[in-house]
Amino acid sequence: MNGISCSINALNGLYDISGVEVGQHLYWQIGGFQVHAQVLITSWVVIAILLGSAIIAVRNPQTIPTDGQNFFEYVLEFIRDVSKTQIGEEYGPWVPFIGTMFLFIFVSNWSGALLPWKIIQLPHGELAAPTNDINTTVALALLTSVAYFYAGLSKKGLGYFSKYIQPTPILLPINVLEDFTKPLSLSFRLFGNILADELVVVVLVSLVPSVVPIPVMFLGLFTSGIQALIFATLAAAYIGESMEGHH
Amino acid sequence: MASMIMASSKTLIPITSSLPSKPRLQQQIPQISLPKIPTPKFLNSPQILSLSSSTLKSISLLTVTSLSFAPPSLAEEIEKAALFDFNLTLPIMMAQFLLLMFALDKIYFTPLGNFMDERDAAIKEKLASVKDTSTEVKELEEQAAAIMRAARAEISAALNKMKKETQLEVEEKLAEGRKKVEVELQEALANLEKQKEETIKSLDSQIAALSQEIVKKVLPL
Repeated sequence: MNGISCSINALNGLYDISGVEVGQHLYWQIGGFQVHAQVLITSWVVIAILLGSAIIAVRNPQTIPTDGQNFFEYVLEFIRDVSKTQIGEEYGPWVPFIGTMFLFIFVSNWSGALLPWKIIQLPHGELAAPTNDINTTVALALLTSVAYFYAGLSKKGLGYFSKYIQPTPILLPINVLEDFTKPLSLSFRLFGNILADELVVVVLVSLVPSVVPIPVMFLGLFTSGIQALIFATLAAAYIGESMEGHH
Repeated sequence: MASMIMASSKTLIPITSSLPSKPRLQQQIPQISLPKIPTPKFLNSPQILSLSSSTLKSISLLTVTSLSFAPPSLAEEIEKAALFDFNLTLPIMMAQFLLLMFALDKIYFTPLGNFMDERDAAIKEKLASVKDTSTEVKELEEQAAAIMRAARAEISAALNKMKKETQLEVEEKLAEGRKKVEVELQEALANLEKQKEETIKSLDSQIAALSQEIVKKVLPL
């Protein structure tokens, strides 16, 4: 009993020092429903960053690209490359979806690591990356599900559903289950990685305020980029998978 | 599973907001050990409010003694930790994402993509046209070579002509010179002959006079 209390006391002290606020939200009421205001605020900032930089860089495209335009062309080529490798030759219409997915998640993750959100004090909860919230990741994952269903149905019509009994009808339950595990794994992977990354950084900063957290912060930046790429690549792979024909 | 988590998390919100503080203390306790099991649902139901005050006191006493060392702040932290708190944020994020997708497509993906494709096509066209001009260049080179050949032929022809003309002139002049020289030679020879004859004549007369004198001197009369 004493040991437990000691550990709990130590934990409490840790909480007091670090001020980790896990799963606390600033609630707004919209028509009888509650929303997580801190997620919406940071997502607006991310959207503003994306739209603003895109407008500035692509406003007046030059034949010989300037710096900003060069960067955005590089990003677009990268997105096209990812879409092409995953979807195949008919990747064209899916570039906006995959690209927005990648850019939104990437900028969100990096905003959580780079922007000093903590300066702005909220009455409840704290500002962090929008992908830190399960609502965001599930929304993106569900949109991916809708996207690959739409891709398959528009390509093959109702014949799309024949893929459920494709190798043998015995695999029907597993194939149906896949449609649930795909968005689940997508959303929880992103959510868990970003939340864990921010938590590790916050706890390390509270324990050792200098130098030691820096490698972890860089690791966090790396993880954030990788997670954005994984999400976009998997979304493209699912879309490509539902579009390719089982002959 | 997901629905269970959602249900448990949804019950968490009214706990913090609506209920009075005394039952709140009780509800914190089961959540320290098992924060995701929906036992607070049972505690949350209005039945507990209708319980007699004595049982309420006894429950609270029991819980307080059993977990008296648990600091209330930690309990509060965990109680409020609504990680899997699904609400209207989700559809709003979906709508925001779709709007962002359309906006980015309008201002970024489509315009810049078209621009890049057009530039690629233009560069390819230029490259192809450059390849075409290489044949033109060959033709031009051949023409130039032909012109050079013609020019060289002309030059050599002119040279030959000039050579022949000059040779003819030189020969003519040579012939003239020879004729002149011959004429002069013959004149000179003729002169020499004349002088020779004259001197011979004069010598003959002198010889006769001399011989007469010699005869006179040798043969005394």
